[in-house]
Amino acid sequence: MVSDSVQPAIPAIEIENLRFSYGTKEVIHGVSLSIPANQITAFIGPSGCGKSTLLRCLNRINDRIPGAAITGGSIRIGGIDISRPDLDLQVLRRRVGMVFQKWNPFPKSIYDNIAYGLRIHGETNRKALDEKVEHSLRVVALWDDVKDRLKTSAFGLSGGQQQRLCIARTIAAKPDIILLDEPCSALDPLSTLKVEELLLELRNDYTIVIVTHNLAQASRCSDQTALFYLGELIEYGNTSQMFQAPREKRTEDYITGAFG
Amino acid sequence: MPDTSHNPVPSGHPFCRRGRSTEGLIKAFFGGNAALTIVILVLIILFLLREGVGFFPEYRTELQNFRKSGLEFVDIARKDLTAHEQMGSLLNRAYFAQVNSNCREEMQRLEEATAIVNYLGEATAPAHDALVQVTDAESNSPPTPELLQKLSAQYRKRLADALSGRLGKGFPPTPHLSRTEQQLLCDQIAARDPLSTDDPAFANELQASLAAKRELSAAPLIAFRDAIDAFQSSSSALDVLVSETSDTVKATKEAAVLHGIQVRKRQTLLDAARTAKPDLRSQLEADIAAAVTTEPVDFTAAMAPVLARIPQFKEANAAMSAGLTEVSEKLPLSLSDEKADRYLKAFRAATPAMAAETADTVGLLEGWRADVPVGIGMTISGFISGRDWITGGEWQDIYGILPLFIGSLMISIIALAIAIPFGVGAAIYTNQLAGPRQQRFVKPTIEFLQAIPSVVLGFVGIAVLGTLLQEVSTLDSLSWIPGFPIQQRLNMFTAGCLLGLMAIPTIFTLSEDAINNVPAAFAEASDALGASKLQTIFRVIVPAAISGILAAVLLGLGRVIGETMVVLLVAGNRIQIPDFTDGIGTVFQPAHTLTGIIAQELGEVPFGSVHYRALFVVGILLFVIVLAINWTAQRLLRRFRISQH
Repeated sequence: MVSDSVQPAIPAIEIENLRFSYGTKEVIHGVSLSIPANQITAFIGPSGCGKSTLLRCLNRINDRIPGAAITGGSIRIGGIDISRPDLDLQVLRRRVGMVFQKWNPFPKSIYDNIAYGLRIHGETNRKALDEKVEHSLRVVALWDDVKDRLKTSAFGLSGGQQQRLCIARTIAAKPDIILLDEPCSALDPLSTLKVEELLLELRNDYTIVIVTHNLAQASRCSDQTALFYLGELIEYGNTSQMFQAPREKRTEDYITGAFG
Repeated sequence: MPDTSHNPVPSGHPFCRRGRSTEGLIKAFFGGNAALTIVILVLIILFLLREGVGFFPEYRTELQNFRKSGLEFVDIARKDLTAHEQMGSLLNRAYFAQVNSNCREEMQRLEEATAIVNYLGEATAPAHDALVQVTDAESNSPPTPELLQKLSAQYRKRLADALSGRLGKGFPPTPHLSRTEQQLLCDQIAARDPLSTDDPAFANELQASLAAKRELSAAPLIAFRDAIDAFQSSSSALDVLVSETSDTVKATKEAAVLHGIQVRKRQTLLDAARTAKPDLRSQLEADIAAAVTTEPVDFTAAMAPVLARIPQFKEANAAMSAGLTEVSEKLPLSLSDEKADRYLKAFRAATPAMAAETADTVGLLEGWRADVPVGIGMTISGFISGRDWITGGEWQDIYGILPLFIGSLMISIIALAIAIPFGVGAAIYTNQLAGPRQQRFVKPTIEFLQAIPSVVLGFVGIAVLGTLLQEVSTLDSLSWIPGFPIQQRLNMFTAGCLLGLMAIPTIFTLSEDAINNVPAAFAEASDALGASKLQTIFRVIVPAAISGILAAVLLGLGRVIGETMVVLLVAGNRIQIPDFTDGIGTVFQPAHTLTGIIAQELGEVPFGSVHYRALFVVGILLFVIVLAINWTAQRLLRRFRISQH
């Protein structure tokens, strides 16, 4: 049901007829969509519609759950089907970063949190580390707040700051794609605004996929929107078009609050 | 609005509370249980303290007596004598190792021949014993010829069986005897009269050849032997002096102790007489009059003859120093046998220390004063830093816990060195790497170790581990390991291994908990950054769980330090500070421990004696150590929990 009104940008992720199961229970029933590069794509839909599961397929983080598996179809990133069992997950996850719903900095210092991703990929040069940490923190507009306490625990930051730290940690590893799983659902409106501004800035350098519950957020900061319901893609298309003139009846019902 | 909350619910109203008394009773019951437990704990501590605290004043009095009666004076001189003896024994060992090194072949041949004789003797023992019994001259009736014949036939049959190797463990191996020699020996035994126990001629030959060879190899060492003899006899003057003066001072001490007992007895009687009934009082008064039969000891007078011999001590001391210098010059530079040479080197290494010690002695003897009081501080520091724990002797009981403390400490370190890698490693594996089926198998299995009673582990240690380790350590290919081959079957390492085994479940379970409590979000974040499984484990999960793991290790240490049965059975129980010159090999020396000494000695000491109290002080010390460890562990755990939330 891929809309032909998708902007002609180069597709970064191509999902074809994807099926996904937890054990014997199938939760995604043949979804196909193409996510363009350097844009923000929002996944929306009521709880349990499979939007988070689909997002977590994109970096195979679902593999952590025993019994969870892609049972059909394919996901192609950069031309490679990432659902193959022999894929090097470390390389994939380096290219596809992820920010979680609940901020989860490591119990380490602010500096070490950012440097962690660099270090595990073999960066040992002190100066290079310093530069990259500073750059990442500047990107998320956290540098001025924390530059004097880089060596203190990351737990000392506020919730919004911790979430931005997690974004900085993700972009420090230089991914091509950033996945965000309801990144603002536990943040206050002001912090949410800051994260949204940040996403709009990041759009120039990264392909961003964001799952959100918040329809206003989707309409504010996404270029494309995909609506899911019960494991199926209902409608996918340009955000402004979808919010103003939905093609499907169920889309209209959902965005006007008739269900969900 | 009027406050009505305190108005009682009218009785009979459905809301009226019923059975209030049951609730109170239940509360009282459980509260009582908790309170009783705490009261018992306090009582135990008080009891320990009451029994232990009396130790220091009493021990001080003993030490006071030790000094006043001059035992301390004699001990100064005796120390040199002991050192001299040890040095002499080193030389003797070097000498015999050198002599025997040349006769190894003869010794092995003799050993093998003896093994054959013993094997045949054991195999024919039943028939032989029966024959001895019936032919016994004391027995009433002389044996009938038929009986004799029957028994002889039995004997011959068994002997024949044994010669063909069919009995018992079979014919012993004899790699150093030729086939003909072996046959000759067997023939000689076969030809022997059934009643005879004489060694066969061939065995005697071997013995003679060994003796001859010994003599031969001793011949070039005659100068060495003479030097050793001269060295050993250089202490004879001191030996005589020490033994004579120790008799004198011991008599003084015994008199003083007896007098002390009598005085105490009179005091007890006097106390009793004060409250006694009139009809008993006269009897008591008579007892009181008869209680003290000895004069109080005049220490100065008793000590005078001993002190008068200081010049003689000086002479004896000089003779010994001269002996040491002389022997050092006469000793061969090195010995060809490796073992002998090691003993010789050990002697040379100890020479300067011995010379220095001998040189001090005269000054110490002259400076010694009987009337310097023993302070309570000295008593305590002597207890804590004392290098000897000598009890049950006639001379003087010395209580110094250093050797016990070091023993406990070393064994704990060995145990932890074994238990930490295994316990923490298994915890990491189970929690992070194992599949659910392995988890279900590994966890209960490791925890099952805890169910093995420590006494059972103890005899596993004696019967299996100790013997196995000792046998393995004699392998030539392992001789590069320091301390190998192991001299003592029961040593700190064996005990440490078993204690490590006992600590593994504690460390495993608690570490596993700590690792399990690390939020999954950390691991997820690390995975999402492209970390490998090992990077996630060692850079995120273990650091996050580290205080929990440390607490687990500390609780394991608490268990190890307090463990008694295994160390008592397996540690070798030698009360001595280990000889650290062996480096890592030190762990293969035996030791005694704080817990072991209590278990071993408490059953044998007289109730209320100084020794009894000394053991209580050791108990208090253990209690404090374990308490400190557990407290630290609790604090770590608390910090860990806080950091998680």
